[in-house]
Amino acid sequence: MTVPTPNFDAKVLRKTVLEMAYSGATVHIGCAFSIIEILAVLYRNHLRYPTNDPRAAGRDYLVLSKGHGVMAQYACMRELGWLDDEAFTKYFANGSDLKGLSDSRIPGLEVTSGSLGHGFSVGVGMAMGAKLHGTDQKTYAIVGDGEINEGPIWEGALFAAHHGLKNFMVIVDENGFQAMGSTEDVLKLGSIQAKFESFGFEAVTIDGHDETAIDSAIARLWKSDTGLPKALIARTVKGKGVPFMENNNIWHYTRLNPDTYRQALSAVAGEST
Amino acid sequence: MRNAFSEALVRLAKADPNVLLLTGDHGYALFDEFRKACPAQYINAGIAEQNMVGMAAGLARTGFRPIVYGLSAFIPVRVVEQIKLDVAHDKLPVIFIGDGAGFVYSHLGTSHQSTEDIACTRAIPDLSVYSPADRFEVTACMDAAYQSKSSVYLRMGKSDRGDVHAAIPKQKIGALLQARPANAADIAFIATGSMVRTALDIATASYPDAGVWSAPFIKPIDSAQVAAVCRRARTVVVLEEHSVLGGLGSVIAEISAEFAPVRILRIGVRDRFSHHCGTYEYLLNEHALDRAAIEQRIRDFLAAT
Repeated sequence: MTVPTPNFDAKVLRKTVLEMAYSGATVHIGCAFSIIEILAVLYRNHLRYPTNDPRAAGRDYLVLSKGHGVMAQYACMRELGWLDDEAFTKYFANGSDLKGLSDSRIPGLEVTSGSLGHGFSVGVGMAMGAKLHGTDQKTYAIVGDGEINEGPIWEGALFAAHHGLKNFMVIVDENGFQAMGSTEDVLKLGSIQAKFESFGFEAVTIDGHDETAIDSAIARLWKSDTGLPKALIARTVKGKGVPFMENNNIWHYTRLNPDTYRQALSAVAGEST
Repeated sequence: MRNAFSEALVRLAKADPNVLLLTGDHGYALFDEFRKACPAQYINAGIAEQNMVGMAAGLARTGFRPIVYGLSAFIPVRVVEQIKLDVAHDKLPVIFIGDGAGFVYSHLGTSHQSTEDIACTRAIPDLSVYSPADRFEVTACMDAAYQSKSSVYLRMGKSDRGDVHAAIPKQKIGALLQARPANAADIAFIATGSMVRTALDIATASYPDAGVWSAPFIKPIDSAQVAAVCRRARTVVVLEEHSVLGGLGSVIAEISAEFAPVRILRIGVRDRFSHHCGTYEYLLNEHALDRAAIEQRIRDFLAAT
C-alpha cells in the first residue's frame, strides 16, 4: 500500500475526530480525545506494519479494547491512507462501514469491542500466539480505566503474568471517568499501577498527553529485561483539547451542534503543539 | 464416547501442530493421553473461562486452531458473549467443547447442569452447533468441526449410553442420521445426544415400524430432510436432554411449521430446574425423561390426536 505522509499531529487528529463526530452526529468524543496522543505515538514510532498493510503478516497488534475511542483510531488510519475521505464525510450514513465502536472487519481494527473487557483477553491470546510462533511481534491493548471494572481483565492479567508474556503491553487510559460518573464515585480503583504490579506486570504511570513521556516510557518498557508483561498507565483528561469538554462527562453522550462544533474546532486549532 | 473424543483430539493435534487444547481447569483424567502425546499443545487457562475464550480468539487470529474445553454449564453458557463477539463474529476456527451437558452432574445441582446451552448458542450467527449421540458421532463431529475451519460448539452429554450406529457415519454436515429404518409408520422419532438411545429403545419395543433419526447437527440442519421426515409421518416425537424451549424440538417444529406441518411431541426439560439430587437415572425420572415416563407421554399424545 502506498503511504501518504501521515501527520499524527494531535491537532490534526482531533480536528478529524470533530469533523467525523459532527458529520455523523455521534457521541463518545471525550473517549476519543483522551487517547489521541497515545495513538499518535504508537502509530508514529512503535507499531510495525510491513508495507503499510493493516493486515500484514508479522505486524504488531493494536487492540482497542475500549472501543468507544475508535474515532481517534479512525483519524490515525486516515493519515496512514487506510481510510478514504468518504468514510469520514459519510460517517454513520446508511450502509457505511465504520461503526460507532471498533469492528474487526475493518482492516486496521483487530477486535470487535465496545462490550468492555473483551479486547484485553483477545490481545493476550495474540501475544501468546506470537510467543508460541516465536515471532518478535508485540501486542498493545488499550483499555479504559472504567473498563477495568470488568473481571476478564484480571483473569487475563493473571494469565499474561503466569506465561511471561513480555511481548504484551496494556495501556490504561486513566481519564477518571466512566459512563455514569467518575471512577472514584462509581467503583474506586485505587492505584492502577500497584494493581498491575501486584498481578506481575512491570508498570509505569505517565502523563498520557505528553508525547515525549509516552514515547520514552514505551521504549523503556520494551527494553526492560524483566521478562514481565507491561502496563503503561496513562493519566489523561477525558475530552482533552476542547476546554468545555475537558473533564465534563456529558461529552461521553453529547452530540455537536453547529455552535459547539465551531467552538470545538477553534479550540483544537488553537491548541499548542 | 470419551475415548473417541480423546482419540480425535490427539489425532487432530498430532496431524496439525497449530491445534491447541485450552481448558478452564477441567478434564483431569480425560486429557492424560493428550498431555502425554502433545504437551506443548495443551494450555490450562485456569478457572477463567471468559479470558480463555477471548484468548482463543486471539490465538485463532495468529493461525492456531484452538479447541476450548469446559463443562457445558460454563462453555458455552457462561461465555456466550465472548463466543458471539470475539469468535463467531469473524468465523474464527475455534471449537468449543461443552462436556457433561444435560443432567450428567446429577448430584451437583443446577450450577453444573446444562439444559439451555443449545438455545443459547443456536441463535448466534456463524456458529455451528453439534450434539453427538455415540462414539461414532463424536468422531464424525470432531472431524467435521476441524474441517469446517469455522466456529463450532460441540455438546457432549451422557457418554455411556451405548452405540446408536454401527460405524462412523459419512453423511455430510447437517444430515439427520438414520439410527433405525422406517417402514412407513405413523410415528417418527428424531432425537439428539443421550436421548437417541432412549428413542431407539422405545421404538424397538413399542413402535417396530417407526424410524429413528439422530440429529448430531443441530445447526446447520438439512431442513429438506427434516421436512421429508415430517411429511411421511402423522406424528413426530422429538427427544432431547435439553429444554423444550429453543432446543432440537424447537428446530424441528420451526421447520415443520414452515414446510411440512405435522403434530410434534417435544420431549425434553419442561422449563424447570432440578429440585432434588440423586443418580442420573433419578434426575431423568424427576424430569419425566426416563423411558417409562416418555412412553406414557407418547401414548397420551397419540390418544389425544
